[in-house]
Parts: sequence; structure tokens; C-alpha cells
Amino acid sequence: MIFLTVGTIFPFDRLVRAVDEAIEAAVITRPVFAQIGQADYKPRHMEHVSILDKRAFDRQVDEADFVISHAGVGSLLIALERRKRLLVVPRMRRYKEAVNDHQLAPARRFAELGHVLAAYDCDELPQRVREMDSFTPVSRESQAYRVAQRLSQFIDGVVADAGRDVAEGFHRTHAM
Amino acid sequence: MTDKQENIRVGLAASAGGHASELMKLARCWKGYDCFFVTTSRVVERQMAQHGRVYVVPESNRRQPLRILRTLACCAKIVIKERPDAVVTTGAAVGCLMAFLGNLSGAKVAWIDSIANSEGLSLSGRLARPFADLVLTQWPELAKRYKSVEYAGHVL
Repeated sequence: MIFLTVGTIFPFDRLVRAVDEAIEAAVITRPVFAQIGQADYKPRHMEHVSILDKRAFDRQVDEADFVISHAGVGSLLIALERRKRLLVVPRMRRYKEAVNDHQLAPARRFAELGHVLAAYDCDELPQRVREMDSFTPVSRESQAYRVAQRLSQFIDGVVADAGRDVAEGFHRTHAM
Repeated sequence: MTDKQENIRVGLAASAGGHASELMKLARCWKGYDCFFVTTSRVVERQMAQHGRVYVVPESNRRQPLRILRTLACCAKIVIKERPDAVVTTGAAVGCLMAFLGNLSGAKVAWIDSIANSEGLSLSGRLARPFADLVLTQWPELAKRYKSVEYAGHVL
């Protein structure tokens, strides 16, 4: 099974249609299950829902042979975290799929690092789909604990400042 | 120590979607503090509600000046009510507004730029920078390029 997800906030009909056409053309022979969000295009060759809750979403990712998605951070995060093969197609401003091309840089960078495969246009989709079977992604370790640690340090600094203010206030009150 | 920490109020802000996913990966940094969240969709509300109060404000971006003003007004109400000591945000527009308002109200502000911004700091990050006491990027080469931008690892 292939899990297709395009996020839930803005439509991404171009990708949903491309996958639908790839099934019709027998480029994709596996069954596809899709979370299509606000899509106007209704796929004819795959089972689809507009939105899944987090648990159901994670289960689809786990059960899929691989995932096809927009190059959104949420999708990258879940697929890499769960060590799932991922093919991304960035949303493009010129097709009015996003306010800017913010998905292009992460798609390129994560593809360069070998974490994902990327198709920059739907014409490339069939070729990339064929490559998915032999694609072994480079795993990526999250360093969220390190970032969180730096932020803890930052918040501790706020706590220390607040403590000092309280102490100073105390001294002032008692000096009067 | 625990009592003292509970007196500290941390405001956490992120637009729904990837920004919120990145924020939720950092949960251990706000453990033990009194927390509230500001986000832009009910979709992420349930996950955040396990950690603190959640406020959902209208989604907006720089192409919708009127909506930005509406979101700004909503955020201002929240900041006046909550009076955070610290604001931690992963962006985007709502994070920028909360950084600005947090700074204005005397809170310390931390901005974590999204992993998506591998070629330069995001627009919202650049706008929020003057109001932030700590700016983190998730790409080491960007920390070298921008003054007072730090790299402390990547969330993803």
C-alpha cells in the first residue's frame, strides 16, 4: 500500500491528480490510500479521506510500503521519524499551491542528503515512483533533545531573572 | 524549585501544520512551567491541550493585511490576559506576532526557525529577530551567516 498525504490546510490537486493518473496508467500498481485535505479534485482510483486524526495518520504511515507527500515539514518529520521511505513533491507558488516556494528548499536539501526522493514536477513522478522500490533512505536522527535543552537553559535564565526581581523587590520593600 | 517554576508562565506559539509539529517536538523544555499555546487550527488543539491552555486564532499571512490585524488583536488579548514571562515560537505569522507582543509586554522571546528554511532565515524569522532574545536556526551554516543566530541542533 502507498499512503498519499498532502496536508490538510491547503489543497494540492496537482499531486492528487498525478497519482490518480499514475494508477490509471498502471505506473503505480499498488493500492493507494490518500489523505487529500481540502482538494477539489476527487480521485477515481484510490481510497481517500479528507482528514485523518493523528493516530490514524501514524498507522497509515506505518502500514505503507512508502509515502508520497507534499514537501511539508509535518510529513517529513513523521516519515523520517518512523523510518519510512518518502517521495516528496514540493508545492509551488506558480500553481497557487502555497504563498511562496518554501517547500522547494527542504525538498532539495533532504533529497541531497539522501533522506527522501523528490519529484519537482509531476512529469517526474512516474520515474521517481519506480525508483522508490530500490530506494534506501539515509536515516536522520532528530536532535530535538538538544534544541529543547538550549531552550530550557533560556527559560531557566528567565526564571533566574524573575527570582532576582522578586528578591530585589523584597529588599526594596524592607528598606523602606 | 517546583513552586518557583509554576510561577513562570511560558507562551508557546506555532501555526498549524509543520510549525506546530516542530514545536511539539520540544515539549521537554516547557515541562514544569505554567504553559499556554497559541495556534491557528483546531486540528492541533487536542495534542497541545495535554500540555496547557490552547487559544486558536485566525490563520493569516503577509498577503492578508486585514486578517493579520485581526490575528494581532486576538494575540494581544491573549498576551494581556496571560502575561507570559517567556514566549517560545517556531513561527510563522502567528509566531511573529506573539514574538512582537511578548517583547512589548516584557517577556523574553525565543524564536526557532523551521527546518524548512535551509537556504536562509524565514521572512517571519527575519521580522521577529529584533524582538527575540534568542534565535535558533536548524542549519549550522546559517548560524555562521547571520549575526546573533545560534545553531543548537535540528528538531528533524
